[in-house]
Amino acid sequence: MNKILEATHINKYFHDPVRIQVLSDLSFSINKGEFVSLTGKSGCGKSTLLYVLSTMDTDYEGSLFIDGEAMPKKNEPFLAKIRNEKIGFVFQFHYLLNEFNVLENVMLPGLKLNKYSKEELEHRAMEKLKILGIDQLALKQANHISGGEKQRVAIARALINDPHIIMGDEPTGNLDKKNSDLVFDIFNKLSDEFNQTLLIVTHDPSFAERTHRIIHMEDGVIK
Amino acid sequence: MSTKLLLNIAKSLLLARWKQTLVAAVGVTFSITMFITLLSFMSGLNDLLDGLILNRTAHVRIYNDIKPNANQPINGNAQFKDAHNFIGSIKADASRQAIYNSGAIMESLKKDNRVLGLSPKLTAQVFFNDGTIDITGSIFGINPTEESKLYHFDEYVTTGNSADLDKVNNGIILGKGLADKLLVGIGDAVQVTTSKGDRFQLKMVGTFQSGIKEFDNIQCYASLNTVQKILSVPKDYITSIQVKLKDITLAPAVAKEYEQLFQTDAEDIQTANSQFETGSSIRTLISYAVGITLLIVAGFGIYNILNMMIFEKMDSIAILKATGFSGNDVKKIFIYIAISIGIFGGMLGLLFGFGLSATIDQIPFNTASLPTVKTYPINYNPRFYMIGIVFSLITTYLAGWFPARKASKIDPVVIIRGK
Repeated sequence: MNKILEATHINKYFHDPVRIQVLSDLSFSINKGEFVSLTGKSGCGKSTLLYVLSTMDTDYEGSLFIDGEAMPKKNEPFLAKIRNEKIGFVFQFHYLLNEFNVLENVMLPGLKLNKYSKEELEHRAMEKLKILGIDQLALKQANHISGGEKQRVAIARALINDPHIIMGDEPTGNLDKKNSDLVFDIFNKLSDEFNQTLLIVTHDPSFAERTHRIIHMEDGVIK
Repeated sequence: MSTKLLLNIAKSLLLARWKQTLVAAVGVTFSITMFITLLSFMSGLNDLLDGLILNRTAHVRIYNDIKPNANQPINGNAQFKDAHNFIGSIKADASRQAIYNSGAIMESLKKDNRVLGLSPKLTAQVFFNDGTIDITGSIFGINPTEESKLYHFDEYVTTGNSADLDKVNNGIILGKGLADKLLVGIGDAVQVTTSKGDRFQLKMVGTFQSGIKEFDNIQCYASLNTVQKILSVPKDYITSIQVKLKDITLAPAVAKEYEQLFQTDAEDIQTANSQFETGSSIRTLISYAVGITLLIVAGFGIYNILNMMIFEKMDSIAILKATGFSGNDVKKIFIYIAISIGIFGGMLGLLFGFGLSATIDQIPFNTASLPTVKTYPINYNPRFYMIGIVFSLITTYLAGWFPARKASKIDPVVIIRGK
């Protein structure tokens, strides 16, 4: 099996106000095409783990491999490039830039990657929006669409560079039942039809049950 | 491509907050406007005041000074050759004040290609006889055409015509103050007595006003021939040669060279008028200090606005970093914002500065002592505009650099988890 993401002996401590261990000796890997959910109670360290895996948090012990490549802890521009190229993010909050329209928001990471021409990128962004069924919103300003639509735009943005893995931190946490189901169906479709690897943090048991594999955490360890 | 993308993001952030941006830009515009106007005005004024003296002063003046002979007999004595000789109560020697061989000196000066022009001068100390009262004064014998060409003599002749000195026999141009004391007008006769007791009748052809009242009370001009007649000296008798150089900065070196070459004394303008240089440079320094202070204040405005923008745009910065923009990219975005405020505000400032200077240039400014000046003086030196735009870019860059560095250090995890 092709390992997309591998973590070995991850330890992490919070230093403020006192030194507390939040992650203790975590080792696991995620294969290509897997749809994995990361569950656990509030405060068990699941989000913390996700941010360590996302390369945004570099204050940990242990090693992290993405696509077989070891992640350094100090090289910020290199990690930014990895995030741009290989990881797509969907957060609880959409984080769209209100200054841009929907299409521009989706294109932004692609423009940064600078792999395709602007016209090509526009075409690709429209395709992603079509997959998510929101292509009619392309030219709307980002703050003029509904919450559910915003989250789908955020997913399209995560997809634009064809990442190795999509990471989600409670992507349905702010949505109602209908929109949650919609987002889950999208993830499922991405996994089934496009063999997309996904790692989603959630505390919604009905969401987790429907994924391929559940990683359940308690007090900083995998149960 | 990357720069273009970052510029594009910077532009969107700027336009989204265009009112704040405008306030920041207006700050820069105002300070650059004042900087340009202040420097143009101050420098115009400096030029005017310097012109009062420098325009009318020779760059190198060749003359014979009254001083003791440098070759005292004791120095020639072989016995005391290596000793330091102290000599008391020396008197200046009786050498004449006229320049020896003046004709040949002037010929060789004319051939020197560093020299723009020269005019001979002869000074006579006289008494003007006004009834029973004698007023002391000095008459300068000049060549009016040369003097006008090199030292703007005609500009200071307020009534009459400087060329009449050559045309009218025994013509004289009196200082305004002196003419008022003597109660004479153009065409009137003026009687003078030389220091040797000779009396002489002159005809007034005009008055002049130098802008320095003390001069106008004692100085008069006549042609070289007339003064030579008053002093009853031959035609080659002159007391100084006023040399104007093409490059004023060469004056000290040239003066030294002429001293050696012609065996006379030579004084350069820098030594003769050092106080004017000092005055001008201090006035300029003050203008720069005020201008730069204004710019720094504008810089703080930009700093504040960018800081606020960063607080507002925390989320956007976090997502940009999460999706692959490095800290450096984020820093560049905010520096671009600051610099574009600097360029936009600075350019407008140059324009308004020019406009304000041009307006001041039109305001009437009449003063009795400066007959040639009709409006406030302005110096449109392109250098001020260059300095203005460079300084506006430097201040806005620095004002943007600190907030930009702060933005680049924002930890996206803290922002995203904080929601």
